[in-house]
Amino acid sequence: MTTPADQPTRAGEPGDGTTAEEAVVPTGQDMPRSVPFLIFARDRGIFVLWGLLIVVFAFWSSPYFFKLDNAILIANAGALTALFAAGVGIGVMTGVLDLSLPGTAAIASCVCGWLLTHGHATWLSLVAGLACGVAVGLVNGFITLRGFNPIIVTIGTLSVLTGLAAVVAGGYTFPGLTQLEFMGTHRYFRIGDAGQTFSGIPAPVFIVAAVFFIGTIFLTRTRDGLRLMAVGANAEAVRRAGIPANRYKVLGFVISGLLAAIGGLVNTANVTEANPAASPAIIFTALTAVALAGVALTGGRGSLPRVLVGAMILATIANGLTIRGIQPYWATVTTGALLLGSLLFERMLQTAVSERLMSANLSVHAKQG
Amino acid sequence: MTPPTTAAGAPALALNDVEMHYGFVRAIDSIDMHVMPGEVVALLGDNGAGKSTLLKVMSGAHKPSHGTIRVHGVEQSFSAPSDAAVAGIQMVYQDLALVEPQDISTNLNMGQEQLRRGPLGWLGFVDRRAMRRSSEVELDRLGVRTAPMTRPVEMLSGGQRQVVALARSAIRVNGESQGILLLDEPTAALGYEQTKNVEALIRRMADRGIAIVLVTHDLPLCYEVADRIVILNRGKKVADIPAAGADPDHVVGWITGSKASMYVEQAV
Repeated sequence: MTTPADQPTRAGEPGDGTTAEEAVVPTGQDMPRSVPFLIFARDRGIFVLWGLLIVVFAFWSSPYFFKLDNAILIANAGALTALFAAGVGIGVMTGVLDLSLPGTAAIASCVCGWLLTHGHATWLSLVAGLACGVAVGLVNGFITLRGFNPIIVTIGTLSVLTGLAAVVAGGYTFPGLTQLEFMGTHRYFRIGDAGQTFSGIPAPVFIVAAVFFIGTIFLTRTRDGLRLMAVGANAEAVRRAGIPANRYKVLGFVISGLLAAIGGLVNTANVTEANPAASPAIIFTALTAVALAGVALTGGRGSLPRVLVGAMILATIANGLTIRGIQPYWATVTTGALLLGSLLFERMLQTAVSERLMSANLSVHAKQG
Repeated sequence: MTPPTTAAGAPALALNDVEMHYGFVRAIDSIDMHVMPGEVVALLGDNGAGKSTLLKVMSGAHKPSHGTIRVHGVEQSFSAPSDAAVAGIQMVYQDLALVEPQDISTNLNMGQEQLRRGPLGWLGFVDRRAMRRSSEVELDRLGVRTAPMTRPVEMLSGGQRQVVALARSAIRVNGESQGILLLDEPTAALGYEQTKNVEALIRRMADRGIAIVLVTHDLPLCYEVADRIVILNRGKKVADIPAAGADPDHVVGWITGSKASMYVEQAV
């Protein structure tokens, strides 16, 4: 299938005396028209899916679903998943599956909780918690660089960290951490007396927005971000280009560790308690969001906004079904079915794209315009 | 062809008495060879003849056990591929080493990204537009235009990918000094038409003064683009002849070892 736009006049032997002008081929029309649409569906399909879900729930769960207050509720409910999904997602994009994230979150919140209950400043406690995330990332990274499988390594660190968090907490928890309320249950931009006109936006929503904004800019606009993604796709190619690829592998672990620490701290702020018991379930919820976002586990592909939407889809389904009065376990069923469906859909699109590209017989630069 | 003379006609790359041992195995045995600027030298040989080893020595991936390497007349000692890259030697691997999900421009600029001016640049923000523009200029100068610079490599055909990989190396070596390109089986995965295009590109790069060493199994390619043919057999150089007028039967004989080395007389 070729577009009418290209007139395939073949250059016989482009070798001798071909100057730049002659060999140049008009570009942009050598691809079948349908390919950009298919690519769009593949890359942006999840946004459409989210939109559809919202529309469906707006009618089906009316009148309570399609309200600003409910939107904020969904955003807040999805915030924690979104933070962990960002950690898992960036890890996967840079070529590592970091399973130690719940442990990182636990140790970060327990260290923060210990410092807070021992009368240290809030900012210091938070910085220490975040530093835990960075340290865990460094350790994971350097062990993995020795040639071990990151999945096994991070399973190991997960168990070490969970134990360490319990040691820090002395086997108990740190309750009553009200100092962190400003980043937990507090709502900003309240309008009216006690938020009667507008109840305000909860703090985690801002944190998620900031994390995804900065993360997206970093991955798509900066040199280090591009290299990080490149390492995820083909570390050897990056190394051969003269870039210290190993440094970027460690950076991937550090970022995902840092995001896990943020997630842990936000969770602590929400429940005003630092709990050393890591909840490995969060990693699977996060992975579901990442997989929904179509982030390939082979690395190098994917985008953070899609991961965010993936997390929001999970929250939307849970919320919509709950409003409708359907048992919450149906939300899990729906999410799983949606994930499997999206896999099939993606495979279909992928096949369609490569078939069209093949049949277009994209040749190098032999066609003259 | 007459190579343009630099540094009193010194070869771009010259190997002198280079040997490489792996334990007791002598993978390459006292090899002398050189490439002039603008010359395409095809390196032929059967499997295990030592082509890859020689290429790795030239690209700095292996340090030779014995012998010297001169680049533009200056003796060099490479302990890593990055040393060779600094000396102006770029290797195009058979697997191309492209980052598939990223676009052509990003791949061409990998490791040499242009940052934006001003504070955003200090934060490490890349100037995608400038990179795209300069990539286009570079590709135009090489006389190739593959696809829009924003297209991901995974959507390119095999020939287009090969061209992107070749162009990337050509851009790298074509800085201040006249560079040297080492190509490992550049047409192994390509169809007829794509092979023709890659041939043309290799020829154009040579015409711009780049010295090219071409390792291949593809004899027609080698007669088409090479100026000179160097043949290895079991680690020894057995022939070094101009490509024009080379007798294909002799070449095959040298490769398989059925024809005696043209250096035997001198050696005995």
